[in-house]
Amino acid sequence: MNSRIVSERSSADGSASGSSNTVIQLDQVSVRYRVPRERIVSFKEYAIRTLQRRVSHDEFWALRDVSLEVRRGEVFGIIGRNGAGKSTLLKVVARVLRPTRGRVRVWGRVAPLLQVGAAFHSELSGRENVFLNGALLGYTHADVARQFEEIVDFAELWDFIDAPLRTYSSGMVARLGFAVATATQPEVLIVDEVLGVGDERFREKCQARMSQFSEGGTTILLVAHSTPLVREMCTRAAWLDHGVLKALGDVDEVANGYQGAD
Amino acid sequence: MTAQEITVVDSRARFAPGVLFELVRYRELIFALTQREIKARYRQSLLGIGWAIAQPLAFMVVFSLVFSRVARLPTEGIPYPIFAYAALVPWTFFSNALTTATIGLVSQRSIVTKTYFPREVIILAQVAARFVDFLAAALILAGMMVWYGVAPTLWLLLLPVLLLILLALIVALSLITSALNVSYRDLAPVVGLGLQVLLYLTPVAYSITSVPGEILPLYVLNPLVGLIEGFRSVVARGQPPPWDLLAISAVISFVLLAAAYAYFKRAERAFADVI
Repeated sequence: MNSRIVSERSSADGSASGSSNTVIQLDQVSVRYRVPRERIVSFKEYAIRTLQRRVSHDEFWALRDVSLEVRRGEVFGIIGRNGAGKSTLLKVVARVLRPTRGRVRVWGRVAPLLQVGAAFHSELSGRENVFLNGALLGYTHADVARQFEEIVDFAELWDFIDAPLRTYSSGMVARLGFAVATATQPEVLIVDEVLGVGDERFREKCQARMSQFSEGGTTILLVAHSTPLVREMCTRAAWLDHGVLKALGDVDEVANGYQGAD
Repeated sequence: MTAQEITVVDSRARFAPGVLFELVRYRELIFALTQREIKARYRQSLLGIGWAIAQPLAFMVVFSLVFSRVARLPTEGIPYPIFAYAALVPWTFFSNALTTATIGLVSQRSIVTKTYFPREVIILAQVAARFVDFLAAALILAGMMVWYGVAPTLWLLLLPVLLLILLALIVALSLITSALNVSYRDLAPVVGLGLQVLLYLTPVAYSITSVPGEILPLYVLNPLVGLIEGFRSVVARGQPPPWDLLAISAVISFVLLAAAYAYFKRAERAFADVI
């Protein structure tokens, strides 16, 4: 696996723009989750068990020694089965999780789109949620105010924007979430299977916007169960299996390998 | 691309004081989360912001009945309602802020596991939202002073200093309890019980002059003693705060804050994992 990365790097160096084109770099990243063998949630229980030295953990490596580089403007797909470590990889890039070993480097601003609308509050109106979500993504109030019309236009939610979010359908929430996260062009966009929500027409609209971003230099990290979507959107891909990088490279080769393994 | 900001997430990275600068960058988020906290709490509630006032007022009425009519505590000539309320306003702030901040990280699970930002932002926003309650309750105090004809003195100008120490203490304790609550979900009732006990160990209903001398050396180690007596002095008594007690409060609060922050930043790494 290592030799593969070295060759990747040298090919990047060989190209005209050089390795300064790297936007995301994972360097032998491993992530370990510690799962208590029995779930201990009470303080008293923990104190007693610590005294008896009975606190035991199962270790679970969600990622093992994953090294990869994603270049500027690439739409990079990550495929693998449930529990393969795809979401963990995205979380590490989004800084939500810290790797247990190894190093992650990201050049530029990351806009995470992990489960759209997770940061929304159901009692607040759509308008209030737009500002709140914008703040979570690191925009200032003034930034969001400037983009507000365009966000609501894209989400097509003018009729409901002042209604509390609990009255929205899940598709409407997803539309609003996507619209906020992609209001301004980020350097890195992380998309975690969010295109499954919303109707066909809106999905196409999202895909169009992602393509437009990618042409404008945004790097997109896309996780999907469905290989057709990855084949359609991505140029390169990585295949994760039980936290290990099985294949890395051209999207068709990787997707063929993944489908052949099933 | 090279001129751009590079984020490095290294498994070996340690706590660095630089995180304080990062906090400045996230001030808009603190503000937005504070707003959300206040709006979400008071929308669809019967009394709205009135809840912020109802709690200390109710305590004041009960304390007035029990301690001034039944127990006849000495209040140094100050009308008992003012005597008690001047202490209840900062106490309620302390108690409510600590209670909500303790469960703060867990209640915001959905954003903690999805996006990156310094996690203390949540704690600061919870405390800030309770601070708005404090301001509302303080307005009533001003009204009561007019009603009872208690004239403010220049010592009132010390309020910001007292508030700063109180905030340091609240944030310090909140950082610790909220981080612990991520792993041990039954910490909230422990904090609730602790606060009930602490109310009796703090001169809220009574004055420090009623505390027997032999237990005083131990009693004043409670950092709230100097603070609550300080609030009562500058507001109700129109006198300087007890400087020696206040110094104890300040030292304990700020040392605790530094230690709590370092602990929180260490514990923070595991939050997204365990929460």
